[in-house]
Amino acid sequence: MTTSQNTKDMSRRKFMTLAGGAAGLAAMAAMGLSPKYGDCSPNIPEIDINKMTYTENEADVLVIGGGMAGLFAAVKAYDAGSKVILVSKGRLGSSGQTPFAKGIFSFDPSSAKMSLDEFVDTVSRSALGTNNPVYTRQMAEHSLARVNELKEWGFFNSPLYNKSFNNPIKERNIPVKERIVITHLIKEKGQIVGAAGFNLDVEKILFFKAKSVILCTGAGGFKPNGFPICDLTHDGTVMAYNIGAKVTGKEWNDGHPGRAKNAAACFDGWGNMFEQKPNVTGVEVHHDLGVDLNYKAYMSGNSVAGGPPGSGNSVAGGPPGSGNTVQGGPYRPAEFAENNYRNSEEKPCAGIPPGGGDPLKEGGAPGPGMGRTPVGGSSAGMSIHKSEGLVPINDKCESTIPGLYAAGDALGSYMAGAIYTQIGSSLAGSAVQGAVAGKAASEYCQGLEMPNISNAKMNKVKEEILAPLKREAGYSPAWVTQTLQGIMIPNFIIYIKKERLLKAALAYVEELRDHHMPMLKAADLHELRLVFETANMIISAEMKLKASLLRKESRCSHYRLDYPEMDTKNWNAWINIFKGDDGSMKFEKQPFESWESYVRKV
Amino acid sequence: MTIKKIQGCIGCGTCIETCPTDVIRKDPKTKKAFIAYPADCQICHLCRMYCPVDAITISPEKSIPVVVSWG
Repeated sequence: MTTSQNTKDMSRRKFMTLAGGAAGLAAMAAMGLSPKYGDCSPNIPEIDINKMTYTENEADVLVIGGGMAGLFAAVKAYDAGSKVILVSKGRLGSSGQTPFAKGIFSFDPSSAKMSLDEFVDTVSRSALGTNNPVYTRQMAEHSLARVNELKEWGFFNSPLYNKSFNNPIKERNIPVKERIVITHLIKEKGQIVGAAGFNLDVEKILFFKAKSVILCTGAGGFKPNGFPICDLTHDGTVMAYNIGAKVTGKEWNDGHPGRAKNAAACFDGWGNMFEQKPNVTGVEVHHDLGVDLNYKAYMSGNSVAGGPPGSGNSVAGGPPGSGNTVQGGPYRPAEFAENNYRNSEEKPCAGIPPGGGDPLKEGGAPGPGMGRTPVGGSSAGMSIHKSEGLVPINDKCESTIPGLYAAGDALGSYMAGAIYTQIGSSLAGSAVQGAVAGKAASEYCQGLEMPNISNAKMNKVKEEILAPLKREAGYSPAWVTQTLQGIMIPNFIIYIKKERLLKAALAYVEELRDHHMPMLKAADLHELRLVFETANMIISAEMKLKASLLRKESRCSHYRLDYPEMDTKNWNAWINIFKGDDGSMKFEKQPFESWESYVRKV
Repeated sequence: MTIKKIQGCIGCGTCIETCPTDVIRKDPKTKKAFIAYPADCQICHLCRMYCPVDAITISPEKSIPVVVSWG
């Protein structure tokens, strides 16, 4: 809207400054507040909602996310004959965790030190049954082919991935739309029909009609300190949950430690690893906990020294110099007690980087916390790679909603299980699953007509996207996120779990969900993004707490102080989460060995 | 402090696209990059590594906002 002296034509911002602002000032005076505390002013959008434009895009296959999974999904869907659009909240190869993943696993049958069958069995033993061997095998089986394609595209020639990711995309002329925040998945008559979101730079809402959608949206956390996942907020998982998809894996915890000093500095905490070129890793199966450090700190306080290798299920440590051994704590299978760099004295507290590469074996860079005072939970809110996200109904990465696929960290494939097993397999798994999903989604589209999104649905989505900008009063997403972090990040909530505290945290999170989430406000497009991210984190927190309460045992990266033993009688099962008909969060147990029969049933 | 300063910017916009958390924006008047949302910086250095003219300086320090009863 152009500037005008006419009140009728006045922009909303101007109008609010005069009218709303004056009303606000009066209200504040009545409350005894002085306007000099400037934050107590009405929400005055810095963008003009009246300038908002709407566009409609069409694709056979819509890929959401521009990391490793998104790259392969787009390329393989295109190569299978589909019209593809890739849309990303950030930029191809430089958002999510992909830019920081420096190790990629390749199972090369000609040089691997064990057979494919032995590899799958070894991972399954380390994962204590929590992995899905179908996806473990698929990752290993296809990894070499994906690594070879990445070599062709120049992936291993630079520490920065944007250029190499663009090579196959530009060669195929696949349209890429960056800095688009997808806020809604759209379903009509039980099938996926597209997605919608907004542009971060200009006032524009975008609708994407698609026969099939592949979520390559990664996982997420609570915008934690020291781990590069502050742009990952479980967007894909929560959008899919909202339209009825089943999701899983919320009770598990990624256990990366960070540093006490400058805890928010991801780059510094990881040494010079971000500036290294990626490498290929070979077979080496671990049982990398991380939560054991949280246990030690919980029992004895910080600082935490690394325990000796082979300490089995007793966690050594305690205050430095105390010589004390902290008894109990997370179980580690004896077979995997040795050769674990997380617990090795020479290499204290080194974590595996996103993607699972071993920084120590890839140029000697330290992992987070290494050589400094470590603090637990730098990745707070994130599960184990590939063990949270949409429930797959087959080995083609298809979700419980027809036409909706997920790959990489957005798919709860349990490829590695509820613990880190094979180093570098996380990045390899994203490449492999992206390719599998791309091809499968393309096949799904064959013979389907382009679906329609009804006007009623489009109007509803528009209203929901614009609502935080129109809200004259409410809560800033930054404040709500900070409050959520205070509830969820301390080690006595999601790391060292017990019923009373999980329930206490849940009461807080339900308050944020019921009271604050509907009142989130935004003054610009950056803040609008934070609103949707904050809401997604709140729903994910609810899932994490409820799943953690349900799982009355300890296993892999889930540790209950009140149920410290593994319960194979009752808990050889995954927990699936879905929205009930009444809108409430529902849970079901899915026995590990039932996957194939479960799949046929769904 | 997070991103500390941007000096010698040529206005190419690469850092803006590269930042995973949307911290940097372009000043419509100067056509140069500026630090718009420092509170959301995750100190990952991607902007610095992608900058073609080494214009970006980053500090490892970050302060947490004080706790207030609403905001």
